[in-house]
Amino acid sequence: MSSAKQSTTWDLQLRQLLLPKLDHEASECEDAIAVDTQTCRFAVADGATEAFDARNWAERLAQHWVQRKSTLTLEEFREWVAAEGRELHDSWNGLTLSWYSEEKARKGSFAALVGVELDLKNESASWKAIALGDTCLLHCRKGTLVKSLPLKCSESFNSAPVLVASDSSLHETSMQSVVTDSGICQAGDVLLLLSDAAASWCLQRFENKDLDVPEFLSVKSDEELQEFFDTERMAGRIRNDDLAIVRIEIKRSKS
Amino acid sequence: MYSAQITRANPTCIILLIDQSGSMGDPFSGDSARKKSDFVAEVVNHTLHDLVIRCTKTEEVRNYYHVSVIGYGRSVGSCFSGELGGRPIVPIAHVADYPLQVKSSYKRVSDGGGGWVEIPVRYPVWIHPAADGKTPMCEALTRVQEILRGWLLEHPRGFPPTVLHLTDGESSDGDPNEIGRQIMSLGTDDGTVLLFNCHISTRRSAKIEYPTEETSLPDGFARTLFDISSRLPTNFLAAAAQLGVNALEGSRGFVFNGDPSSIVQFYEIGTSLTGMTPYRWMDDRTEPA
Repeated sequence: MSSAKQSTTWDLQLRQLLLPKLDHEASECEDAIAVDTQTCRFAVADGATEAFDARNWAERLAQHWVQRKSTLTLEEFREWVAAEGRELHDSWNGLTLSWYSEEKARKGSFAALVGVELDLKNESASWKAIALGDTCLLHCRKGTLVKSLPLKCSESFNSAPVLVASDSSLHETSMQSVVTDSGICQAGDVLLLLSDAAASWCLQRFENKDLDVPEFLSVKSDEELQEFFDTERMAGRIRNDDLAIVRIEIKRSKS
Repeated sequence: MYSAQITRANPTCIILLIDQSGSMGDPFSGDSARKKSDFVAEVVNHTLHDLVIRCTKTEEVRNYYHVSVIGYGRSVGSCFSGELGGRPIVPIAHVADYPLQVKSSYKRVSDGGGGWVEIPVRYPVWIHPAADGKTPMCEALTRVQEILRGWLLEHPRGFPPTVLHLTDGESSDGDPNEIGRQIMSLGTDDGTVLLFNCHISTRRSAKIEYPTEETSLPDGFARTLFDISSRLPTNFLAAAAQLGVNALEGSRGFVFNGDPSSIVQFYEIGTSLTGMTPYRWMDDRTEPA
């Protein structure tokens, strides 16, 4: 948990959690989290398990997105992804690959991405977000869900979402699924950035009204959360997937 | 049931059982240039390619599957040769590393700007066509049962094994019903072994795909294969739907009088497992450069 003073009016309280699948090493985790309190940008990306170099692609997307000052419109996003994809593919040049790696690389890499930018410079706090795939932003207020994007309910998650492709020849159709949105924050509001398994679980908690997730993610220690999610995964209540969670609480500045 | 996650710690097993009797050397009806055995070998090689690609993580192949390819005709045994020869069941990473050969070709793909580019593609080959001898189906199923028993002792948990059996004729060594039922009674704590059967025909007969009841079947042989075909679990139904195949709740993993497209779909549905999207190799054909 960390705090960052953003302006004379607003502070942020941040928490992030990245857990690999059960029985997997941290180095095998294909979810990525990026936080930049200078740009006030936050992102979660989820590399597609079956894709080539998915971990690298997810990390690249998340880290580079938070460092930028734009890419919040579809056109900017499209140009930026194409450039990132070219750089990724260039990084594969010169590799000696087996026939199967070559086949995988030919199809490029894929990841889901959600990024949010906060504007806390004024009296009124606001956010803008962009998402493609099934990593989600949830805007929560006093234990209730104000907005969720790009997916709205726990039943919307399936095994074949449209993802951010590194191969720009696929962008013609995939970019049609990009979702952009914005919102106004009040003091005490919480934004959650979540990879798919965490997002599906979280939305189900809101639907069932059986757990105040923003509060829960605040009061538990990292060890308690890891133990909790391991238990949930073993019991099949949450899919055994990598979990990426970023909790951003917007607070009134004390001074 | 049929919901266990397939992992390296809990892999699953896939057995491809292929009729290689003399009649497989005959052509499909209406396609005199193409022998059934040639087409089946091509589809099996593509299926193995598909399984390898699904398990490929950048530069590593993870052992989510253990694979066996058993042929029966003049003899009964593994179709693998070369480095994999003599091994009844092989982790998928070994399959990946030891094809008999890797053919190279070119494929035309969109360049994203309205034009086309040619890119190199690889087609590995593990098995060659074979068509000789009778149809010792019972002996072949007994061999499959032995492989499964050994494998299940070491893997009692996880997604149950799948057996995809392809034949073009009746058994020449007795009624396969009993041994088929014995195979279907084996399993893991996630369900019993899935035995799916695809019968292909040289004649121009109406094909029957994934029936729910045997009353629609024309003869005793078809009913025998129906009886030893498992019901398609829900997640396989989803894969069938994606391929445009009309399979319903209660459908058996069974095709009678199938044609070439039935064979392709049979392997795609049979290896879809846990609802994974089938690898659409039929849409991914190479155009020679």
